[in-house]
Amino acid sequence: MQSESKVDPKIIEEILKFSKNVIEAPKLVSAPDEISLEVTPNETVQEIDKTRLLHYESEVDKQHKTPLLISYALINRFHILDIQPEKSWVRNLLNQGFDVYMLDWGTPTSMDKYLDFDDYVNGYLDSYVEYIKNESSSEKISLQGYCTGATIATAYTTLHPENVKNYIATAPVIDGWRDTTVISNLAKHMDVDKMVEIIGNMPPEFMYYCFSVLKPFEQGIEKYVKFFKNIDNKKFVDNFLRIEKWLGDTPPIPGELFRQWIKDIYQDNLLIQNKMYIEGEHVDLKNIDMPVFTQVAVGDHLVSPECSMPLHYAIGSEDKTLRMYPTGHVGMIASSLSQKKVLPELGEWLAKRS
Amino acid sequence: MQSESPKDITDYYKHLSLFWTDIMHLMSSKPQALTSIGPMRAFAANSKKVSTELIEINEDLMEFNQHLTEYYKQLSDTWSVAQKKVNLKAPEVPQDIEQIEAFKRIWIDIFDNDFTELFDSSKFGENYGKLVSKELELTKHWNNITNVILQSANLPSKEEIDEVYKEIHSLKKRIGKLELALKKKEMKENAK
Repeated sequence: MQSESKVDPKIIEEILKFSKNVIEAPKLVSAPDEISLEVTPNETVQEIDKTRLLHYESEVDKQHKTPLLISYALINRFHILDIQPEKSWVRNLLNQGFDVYMLDWGTPTSMDKYLDFDDYVNGYLDSYVEYIKNESSSEKISLQGYCTGATIATAYTTLHPENVKNYIATAPVIDGWRDTTVISNLAKHMDVDKMVEIIGNMPPEFMYYCFSVLKPFEQGIEKYVKFFKNIDNKKFVDNFLRIEKWLGDTPPIPGELFRQWIKDIYQDNLLIQNKMYIEGEHVDLKNIDMPVFTQVAVGDHLVSPECSMPLHYAIGSEDKTLRMYPTGHVGMIASSLSQKKVLPELGEWLAKRS
Repeated sequence: MQSESPKDITDYYKHLSLFWTDIMHLMSSKPQALTSIGPMRAFAANSKKVSTELIEINEDLMEFNQHLTEYYKQLSDTWSVAQKKVNLKAPEVPQDIEQIEAFKRIWIDIFDNDFTELFDSSKFGENYGKLVSKELELTKHWNNITNVILQSANLPSKEEIDEVYKEIHSLKKRIGKLELALKKKEMKENAK
């Protein structure tokens, strides 16, 4: 009996090329640990506990009086907003003439397990806003919140509207009951009291698990196959490693803050119902009466558009804009689309009001 | 107490263990004060707490395993259904690079969709929540055992350290608010 081999020689060629790429990868690319995620020069202008305020250096003259403070999310770190020169959210805004500050929430330790919404909103954020007002001789600032950082910034804006001239909510976590993501499903069934009581801070490992169940095969297998296939493409590899390093670096979340966030936002959904309180102060979304720009990504699988959009309709502002973009959670802030569409629109809106 | 007809075998062993550790604890209390500060005395007193925790760990471990089995069952069932869908959509074995790429795309899309659907479901959320909850119970027992050991070495327990953290947090918060209020007042005065 004769058997005829029908294996396409291209398959063998592809397998051999892939194997060669895997073997040669360490010679061609840096280890993630060797990569610095600092892109745009900045200075730490104030530190409180483990948090710090960064002020970015601009290569162009400041064209708008009102400074902009970015309140980054509690998950992962702020570097995604300045991940590469050509995809940098921060650099783009600097080039448009804005004066940009960034809030780095730092890395909480066991000692910080009692930090709560009040510490973040009325403590750190308020202190940094006062600092910026003082340094820039401005009565008010522009505030941008991203993801969970927008939940904090929204709470701040309701409690201190006198300090906020313009508010930009980028993929904000607002209406937990409408959120259709896996994260929301896990949060709704979580015994958060027990978690905080027994382990204190929300550990990064648990956050990794939550992210690993989002598109598990695309993110868990395919993207690494693509990485080794494109090992000769310097630009692709550099971008991949930067994003991977950023993804792998998420700090713990202070226990009390996490408890209130899960309960008030995902389980009891108090914020959008105007029933949330921070240290006895009512977080009333109607207090937000300044110009507001809400940015939502249609393909966001971390914060679904249904979770973010209700902010636009719940606030008291008359000057409010809602923009939806055909991209994902990260694509909205660090992609060519964000450079070509999202940031120019934001810049134009903000410039008129700064 | 006699355990002539124990309802549950775990309860019986729990009782048996507690009986002997209690007896050992009482017997060890008899010696004079000289030995009441030694390591053996501390060990006898603590062994009861440790054995109670170990028995309860066993109980929680059984429930943890039930939820873990359900967790893997859900994953395995979803895998089987997704694989069947892939087989229906791409029944032929791919022969060349283009076909392999197309097959891979179908496989990833179907698996991602089906697993996302599972992770989004309340049956997964409920079981996963209980699984994590039981895991936390196990951690709590381990913490309790560690506390016994820490206390036997005259070191503060986790709860005592937490109390200190809470006190520091409260003090820092008060000082921070006072400083901020003072700064705001100064700024207002300077602005006048």
